[in-house]
Formats: sequence, C-alpha cells, structure tokens
Amino acid sequence: MTKILEAKERNVNDIKGYLHPLVKEWFFSKFADFSLTQKYGVPAIWERQDIIISAPTGGTKTLTAFLSILNYLVMLAEKNELEERVYAVYTSPLKALSNDIHKNLEEPLAEIQALAKSKGIKLQDIRVGLRTGDTTASERARMLRKSPHILISTPESLAIILTTTKFIEKMWGVEFCVVDEIHSLDNKRGTYLSLTLERLNEVSKIWPTKIGLSATVEPLDEVAQYLVGESDDRSVAIARVPLDKKIDVQVLTPVKDLIYGEDIGVNTYSLIDKLIKEHKTTLIFTNTRSATERVVSHLKDKFPTEYGDDNIAAHHSSLSKAHRFRIEENLRAGKLKVVVCSTSLELGIDIGFIDLVIMLGSPKSSSRALQRLGRAGHQLHNVAKGRFIVNDRDDLVECSVIQKEMIERKINKIRFPINCLDVLSQQIYGMAIYKIWDIDELFNLIKKSYCYKNLRKADFLDVIAYLSGDYELEKSFVYGKIWYDPVTKQIGKKGKLARVLYLTNIGTIPEESFITVKIAPSGESIGAIDESFMERMKKGDVFVLGGSKYVYRFTRGMNLYVNSAENRTPTIPSWFSEQLPLAFDSALEIIRFRTLMKDKLKAGMKVEEVLEFIKEYLYVSESTAKSIYEYFNEQHKFFEIPDAKTILVEEYRGEKHYLLFHSMYGRRVNDVLSRAIAFLVGKAGERDIEVGINDNGFYLAGEKMNLEKALKNLEPDDLEKILKEAIEKTDVLARRFRHCASRALMILRNYKGQTKSVGKQQMKSHYLYHAVKKITGEFPILREARREVLDDLMDLPNAKNILTWIKEGKIKWKIASRPIPSPFASNLILQGQSDLIRIEDKQQFLKRLHELHMKSIGQDE
Amino acid sequence: MSKYQFISKSVFFPEQGILAIGDLHLGYEEMFRVKGYSIPKQQIIDTIEDLNKIIKEIEKENKKLKKIVFMGDLKHFFSFQRSEGTDLLDIYSFLSNIISEDNIILIKGNHDTFELVGRPMHDYWIEDGICFTHGHKLFPEIFGKEVKTIVMSHIHPSVTLHDSQRIKKESYKCFLFGKWKKKEVIIVPSFLRSVEGSDLISGSYDEDFFIVPERELEKFDVYVIGEKILNFGRLKKLISSQD
Repeated sequence: MTKILEAKERNVNDIKGYLHPLVKEWFFSKFADFSLTQKYGVPAIWERQDIIISAPTGGTKTLTAFLSILNYLVMLAEKNELEERVYAVYTSPLKALSNDIHKNLEEPLAEIQALAKSKGIKLQDIRVGLRTGDTTASERARMLRKSPHILISTPESLAIILTTTKFIEKMWGVEFCVVDEIHSLDNKRGTYLSLTLERLNEVSKIWPTKIGLSATVEPLDEVAQYLVGESDDRSVAIARVPLDKKIDVQVLTPVKDLIYGEDIGVNTYSLIDKLIKEHKTTLIFTNTRSATERVVSHLKDKFPTEYGDDNIAAHHSSLSKAHRFRIEENLRAGKLKVVVCSTSLELGIDIGFIDLVIMLGSPKSSSRALQRLGRAGHQLHNVAKGRFIVNDRDDLVECSVIQKEMIERKINKIRFPINCLDVLSQQIYGMAIYKIWDIDELFNLIKKSYCYKNLRKADFLDVIAYLSGDYELEKSFVYGKIWYDPVTKQIGKKGKLARVLYLTNIGTIPEESFITVKIAPSGESIGAIDESFMERMKKGDVFVLGGSKYVYRFTRGMNLYVNSAENRTPTIPSWFSEQLPLAFDSALEIIRFRTLMKDKLKAGMKVEEVLEFIKEYLYVSESTAKSIYEYFNEQHKFFEIPDAKTILVEEYRGEKHYLLFHSMYGRRVNDVLSRAIAFLVGKAGERDIEVGINDNGFYLAGEKMNLEKALKNLEPDDLEKILKEAIEKTDVLARRFRHCASRALMILRNYKGQTKSVGKQQMKSHYLYHAVKKITGEFPILREARREVLDDLMDLPNAKNILTWIKEGKIKWKIASRPIPSPFASNLILQGQSDLIRIEDKQQFLKRLHELHMKSIGQDE
Repeated sequence: MSKYQFISKSVFFPEQGILAIGDLHLGYEEMFRVKGYSIPKQQIIDTIEDLNKIIKEIEKENKKLKKIVFMGDLKHFFSFQRSEGTDLLDIYSFLSNIISEDNIILIKGNHDTFELVGRPMHDYWIEDGICFTHGHKLFPEIFGKEVKTIVMSHIHPSVTLHDSQRIKKESYKCFLFGKWKKKEVIIVPSFLRSVEGSDLISGSYDEDFFIVPERELEKFDVYVIGEKILNFGRLKKLISSQD
C-alpha cells in the first residue's frame, strides 16, 4: 500500500535555506513573502516528497510547484551541469496553457537570467518546451534537436511523447512531474492519465517526484493515491492549505412570479444587463454551448447600443483555438465587458480581473459552483462575488441549496472511473508501439496505476485478445492491432500504420460537433444542437430549441431539417443525457430542506416565521424566500410535499398513462431507479415502457402498468442484475458503446483522411454494436460500455442504498391517483422521453398492431 | 394476372418458376470498414443464409425454381469496390448447385455503375407477361402490351409502426401491391438484413427518383413481413391511422 502522509506548514527559513541566492533574490524582488501554499509545498518538493496540494484558485499553486524545480535547474545551470534532457514534465487537462506557463515559467526564467547577467554570473540557458495537440511539426522537430528542460504537455500529448523513441531518449531522467487541475480528472481522461504516469515512471530511470495541484475537493486521500499510484515503496503527502477565500453569493429571480409573472426571458436579460453595468468585467456560465450562443445573441439584439463584438464574446469548446485564445487575451487585457461560456472557463487559466460571476441555471454541485466562483477576484484576498440567476422554481430551490452548501463549505465528492477496458486498450496499443513487452511486465505496470490496481487478469487478457485480433475477428477480416505470442509471452505492434493511427485517434473525449438546425424546405437557420442530442432523435421526434418546438424531418450533411410543431408534446428532453447531473450530496441536502418545510407547513406555522426560517437556513433574500415559500405552499395545499421518509408517486392519465415519481436523488440515481422499475413494470404487463428522467424525479408511461406488483420485486440485491437486463436494449448503452469503441480504436475518428457525416454515425455505431454482440455478449469493450453506464453515467451504489433504506422501512412508497400533476411534478412531465425499456417482442407487437389496425379500418368502411 | 406468392422478403412466381430478390447492396458493410469501423464480415453470410431459406421453402412446397432475378443495386458503392465482386461470386458459387448460371438474371440498378463479375446486366427482363426492372428509370418497353405484371425494387419499402401512446415504434420490411397504368405492380423490399428500409409512412424515400408517383403508391396495399405476411390494407389509410 502506498503510504499517505500529512504535509505541514514549514518555517520561512527552511525555504530560504533551500533557495539558490539568485532565485532567492529574484523571489523577494517580486514578492514580499512566501504564500501559505508555498510554505506547505516548496520545501516538500525540494526534499523530493510526492505531494498533492489542495488550495482554492488564486492560491499561487503553479509557482509553488515550479519554485523548487526552477531552483534546482538554476543550480545546475550555474555549475554548467545542465544536460540535454527533460528534467521536469508538467501536464494539465487544459489546452490553452501557453499564457500561464509564460507567466509562471518563462518570465521568471528570463528575469533570473537577467539578474545573473547583471551580476556577471554565467548561467546556462534553461529551456521550456510546449507540446500540446496544437504544436506544429517544425516545433516538434526543434524540440528533438534541442531538448527542453521543462516539458509542458496535456495528458494526450504526454502519451504521444511516450511512444516516440527519439523523445523517450530525452526522458530517461525526469525528476519532477507536475499534474495540474487534478480535480477535473474524475473522468476517463483521468483514468487515461493514470496509466500515462505509470509509463513515465517506467521510462525514467529516476523516480519523477509527483506534484499534484488541485482545487478544494474530496476525498483527498483518493486523489493523492491517484497521483502516485499503488505500490509499497511509494508515499504521498497531502497539503490541505487552510485558505479561506471570502465569498459573496446571492440567488436572484428575474421576475417576482416564476409561473405567471412577466416574460422570464426578457427579464432575465434585463437583469443580466443591469448586473454587467454595475461591474467592470463579468463572466457568465450557462452550462451548454448552445445556451452560450443564445445568451450572447440575445444580449446583442436587445441592447444593440450596449453590446457588440468589441465588448462581448462567447467562449466554448466548439470554437476554434485561435478564436478562444483571442477572447482570453482580450479578457486579460480588460478589453471585454462580458464573456459568456458553457463550462470552458471553469478551469484555471489566468483570465485577468473578473469582479462578477453569473451562473445562469444551477451548476449542479457545490464544488463546481465554488470553482466557478473562484474565477472572480482571482487575487487571493479579494472577495469572490457570484450571482445565480434561476429560470424556474426547481432551479430556484436547487441553486439556493447549493448556495447554502457553498457558504457552509460542504464539498461534493469526486470519483475516478476504474478498470476501464477501453482506455486500457488504447494505452496497451500505445505501449506496444515503442517496444516489445513481456506480458507480465505489462500487467504489473498497469496494476500500479490507482485506476487499475484491482484489474483482474482475465479482463486484461480479454483486452489482449481483442487487440490481437482474437474473438474470431481476424477470420472476419478485422485485423489485429498488436501481436501476442503465447509461447514467448511477448507483445508488439502490428502494421506500418500503427503509430499514425495512434497519433490521430488518441484521446478519451467523445468527439461531438454542432449540427445546424434549419426549417424545411426554406433552409432558414434557427439554431444549433449538439451532435449527441441529434443522435437521440428519430424522424418525427419533437424537441425544444430556443423556446420553440420543432419536429425532426431529415438530415443533409451537417444540417438537420425541421418543421414547427407548437402543439405537440416533446418526445425527447430539452437537455440531453450528457448534461451535468446534480450531485447526490446536494440532492440529499434538498430533501433535507423539503422535509423541514413539510414539517413547518403541516404544523401550521405562520407565514412570517416560515419566511424567516427560509431566509436564515438558505441565506436568501426576502423575495427569494417568498418565491420558495409559495412553491412549497402550493405543493402542500394541492397534494403533499415529498420528504426524506416518502417517495411520492402520482398516477396521472393525460396524453399518456403516467406514473410520476418524486425521487429527489439526482439524475444518476434516478437513471437507475427508473429503468429498474420500468423493466419490472414492463415485464409484468408485457409492454414497452417509456421513461423520462430529471434530477428531481422520473416518470414512466405506457400501457398495463401495475406498480405495486413491480415494487414488490425490487430487491436491493437484485438491482444490478435487473439493471443489466434493463439497459441491454436501450439507446443509452448503444451510444456509450460507440464512445467506448472509439476509445478502444474499434472506430477510428481519423482514418485515411475520411470524415464522418452526421445522420449515418448513429446507424453505423448501431451496426457495429450488433455485430459485436453477435460475436459474444461478453466482448470486453461491450462489458466496458455496461460498466460505464452503470458506474459512471449512473450511480448504482447510491441507488442500491436507497433501495436498502426502503427495505429497512426508512423510506416508504406512497402512490396516489391525481387528476392533474402536482406543482413539483410539472417540470417532470414536460421532460420528454429519455429512454425506452424494450420488453415486447417485435413480432408480438406487429401482430397486436395488425389486429388493432384491421379492426379500425374495418369500422371505417 | 400472374400468380405470385410472397416468401419471406422475396416474391415467387410458381407458374414460371421465377424468384425475384430485392436490392442486395453487397458493399454496405464494407462501407463501414472503409470509414474506419472495425466490423466483422457478416453481410454475405446473412445473404446466403436468407437465400437458402427461401429456396428450401420453395422445395418444401414441391415447386420448381427455374430462374432467379436479382432486382438491381447489387453493389452499394457507386465506385469500384473489389469486395463487392468477391461477394457476388460467393453467391454464384452457392447457387451453382441449384440452377445454371444462365438462369441467374441481373437487373441494373442505380448503384450498378460497374459490371461486377463480367456477367451482363439488364435494364429490364420480360418473361411470360412479367417484367422485372429496378424502378429508378423508366423504359417504354416495360409497358409493352404483353406485360401484365411489373416487379420493382429500388425504394426499399418499409413501415414504422407505433402504438396509440406513441411509446413503442418498430420498423418492418413490406411489399407494396397495386395497379398502375393498368398493370399489376409489385414492389419488393431490400434484401439487406440489417436495415429495414425507407419508411413509407413518414415518406422518407426519395420519390423524385422512383418511376411510380407518390399519389399512385398511396393506393397500393401494404403487406408487412413478420413471421407471416400480414395485409395492412391501403397505404393511405395506414398513413392516416398512424399519424
């Protein structure tokens, strides 16, 4: 087991004692004193202690990481001992790094060099090399000729470097490795990096001291182990820098009455405009790329004299790198009054002085909210000012509760995906490219990664089998990517294109692009949607875009053609499944609040007293408290407030026969509960069941639904089995399989210069999905897709906890038939279909419809 | 009137002993591989298996198979693709024990821009009052006096049906049968197993490139292919009931 230590704040003289005179003089010419973060980090790093440094944004983390490294390199440079090799690797999930690095590395280096010159000290040149996906071929070649001493990379570019034999020659003595923004790596990119770090450990003859930089997250023990991996001879120190940044947050409602009040849209923009004017520079978070575009264009349209291209800009990941770079530059230079982004400016590139952060819609977790807020008042001692602007009453309650968590410093937990077989496939392929491996050597290396410490040998061998063209793949003309010789137990690459294919298809982020939506047949453009949203749709589906409803007609190239469909109910949700889910901890916090409110309203507490309670408990204004009170009071009078002890279910017959569940557990848990219950209900009635899911609950719709009977069969211990069966035929599994297949290089995004058109993508991945299923239902990449759905997309463990509480009688179901849905259920029913649980056989369905149809046309005639 | 029977997704004329097989689109799967999707080879295996089943069914009914007409679009790629030729040769070699090569008739479809294996391809084939043509192009001869029945393919007819709450939707291949220009017309579905075809109900086939106009097609009867062939009546009524 890796040892975990606690880092301590150190004496200033300790640090001073370590610093080279030049570095010391430079430092104190810039700063009055060491920051608290530096007192925790700098000496430990100098002593080569692996360390994770957790501090809020603006806590001088980057310089903390680099100070000891610079110090070491200056020492060598003065003695003329600096060699032609890489001493330190820095990696960050952000691509737009160059500016930060310039500020934190190149500037100090230049200044130290100048200082040395002024003193007549001869100092070797210390070089910094930037290698990201955007680095040009000539820059790369230059790096090979003259090795950088500090290499700046992304997780992907670092992996590529580690397959380049010539570059590996420069990496034999990497003494430091900085991993920035670790808190944002709780996804497959993080899993991927954990293996890349092991590859670095293997290539370097010297142990690279790991320095992890993180915003405030929990659980830090796990994050620390992630950083250094799993081995008895490894240890890591945790530095919890006790910095408390002051925050000033408020929840604002654009209109007094969120239901019957004035136009919410118009008033939201007036409110945004007012806030922007009151501040110097404002940063707005919208959660999605399309919302980002919408906010910018509406502000320009509504206030043409106030906002133009010179002072407002959109920033999201679909924009070109050059474009984003220009916006960041203008922001730093103070040229922009307001920047609107999706989530893209959440992470720590320096964006200059921001005095207000607006969050349009819920950030879905307190840690994310704190991260966003941290972008305001970047210098440590300024107060970070943030405003939530809510768009409906559920959003109002959610943002208020998240605000409470922020103020009370309740931090949500993160979790790294583990044992991912798709990421493993890509990495093994990459490893096979630069040398021939012994299979046990390979397995042992992989097991040292935190994310694969419990990897089963059988799973590993299945991945090797897939990669080497086993599973009868070779027979059917799908050639292997590696060779494996069971006699010599050796593994190596196959084919001349291996390196090129690896380079052009590396990465773990599913590629998503924008689809333009146009009116048919005129071709008038009305907006854009994400590709994954489009993938969910079939012809004839109704969806919401920019507040209007449209029906999907057909696609041509990268365009989706639609007609207006104002009178129809949406058949798919306005959010898509990849949107941020509400954190489980925050969801429970909302339930706690609901329970308190229920008790007060039931006890007949006076309005003023309830308002006082809300104001104090949620730290909100009088008017916000009033809106919340009204919402809860309506629900209380009309039906009942769902609380911690009851899951209310409303049965309602509208356009469809609905069961509406008030399961306030966040979407990841509701994903599990809804599908398991739908599966059991569907089985009993032999019908397909439609499910719609959001963070506050879910609905089922269909024929012959007998809920009581289904709930009796819902045992916590059977949940995983039920769910595996329930997702087998769903779109969500097929879609996730496509992502996994792409990561495992079964689908090549870049193949002989081919690009892929939209409409056919979905069809092709379905085809691949069925073809693979035919070979074996236990194909490793298929197993990975199932794991990803259950553990990463959904939250099986917490769903199981809920069922256990139900079994123990801590939570009870309460089912009631309702003439119309209650206020708390109104958003749910507008949700639209998220998935379909397929039960009824295709042939059975045909016979049934045939009988119905013949009866109906018989009556006609 | 020519006697005909639907067998699975093909149509058989027992008196003439002619079997008509819809569009094969042999390179369909290869297209995925060309685009970088690692897909195992399945299509040719499925195609031969399905052909075999149909032939067995004819034998079981003690009827004589004399000729097989492939209705066009044997190829999927518009350009040259070696694998499609190899696939077609596999079909020929499978059929070699059943009928002679002269009795395999290839109709030219819009995808058939190359002669695949050096066998002649016909714009149409007329025999004993039955005319076989792909349907993307109009040839005056198909309306000849002697012709009573025209068999076409090209539009890959299928229907997507949903229940009254619009919760479940499924697609099925189907035949269309009706009268047009005083001829009996049969439209056969595609033979490709993995794709049902173009939905007639939402009108997603490309009507501009089919010789029978849409308003005429609406008068045709729909025969949906399930375990059995089910007559769903007029297409127009089916469209309005599903709307």
